[in-house]
Amino acid sequence: MIGTVTGQRGKETSPPDLVNTTDEKLIELFISSKDERAFEEIVNRYADKIYRLAFKITRDYYSAEEILQEVFLTLINKIDTFRGESKFSSWLYRVTANAAYMHLRAQKKYENDVSLEDYVPYDENGTLMGRIKAKDWSDKPDKALLSEEAMEIIEKAVNELPEPYRVVFHLRDVEGFSNQEVSEVLGLSVPALKSRLHRARLYLRDKLSDYFYEWSK
Amino acid sequence: MVMCKDVVENIIGYIDAELDDKTLEELEKHLDECPECQVFVRTYRKMLELTGKLRERTFVTPEIRERLKQLLKSKLKPN
Repeated sequence: MIGTVTGQRGKETSPPDLVNTTDEKLIELFISSKDERAFEEIVNRYADKIYRLAFKITRDYYSAEEILQEVFLTLINKIDTFRGESKFSSWLYRVTANAAYMHLRAQKKYENDVSLEDYVPYDENGTLMGRIKAKDWSDKPDKALLSEEAMEIIEKAVNELPEPYRVVFHLRDVEGFSNQEVSEVLGLSVPALKSRLHRARLYLRDKLSDYFYEWSK
Repeated sequence: MVMCKDVVENIIGYIDAELDDKTLEELEKHLDECPECQVFVRTYRKMLELTGKLRERTFVTPEIRERLKQLLKSKLKPN
């Protein structure tokens, strides 16, 4: 049945009766009766999300694919370690993040420890005067901002964030997780992740302002 | 006195509507009078709107999906 996990650009082809089933119920079906269709539905739901998170941590397409495969093998072999104490999605993202960080450690690929903690857009007097308005891109038409070229620019800007900020930003603002869920996945306190999120957003807003300003010249 | 710095450092609370009434009132008063902060808030909101759209992009190519499918098929095969 896993053979039906196909499709152009990730379009899902699961049987309709499972599409509206909760993750937890699908896992229950897989554990109790080895229902491959249930597993296939989980793959359809999460393959892209797992791959994206793995790439956001490693910034390497080959590693991201290896991690994608590892995570689903873990799901097959160690599903009993999911005890239902957190949401299945949080558990799966935590497995993914752990696998990705293990890859980084194994390959001894560490990014320079760049901190954005002192990153602020205002001057020493606490004013933004002359720093923001000159690069106002908020009134650019959506057609331009949502173009493929613009989305590439946005993706690139996110990928340029230093790792600890990039992963928090990705989970919170791209995947749309709550603070509590991000905290569970990364094992970070909510104040710590909010602090990273704040600096990440300030940095990205500036980056996008530079990009879109240059782009529109 | 509220400054641009206060708008910047309270922006998450402002966007998420989590500020107390007094802080909100002071920030909004500053915002009314400060064109730089107005643009800051507008572009900040727009940045969040655009980065949220990244979720809709597909990264797993048909080739990656096929390799995953083959791997899982072999692992799920009954012994």
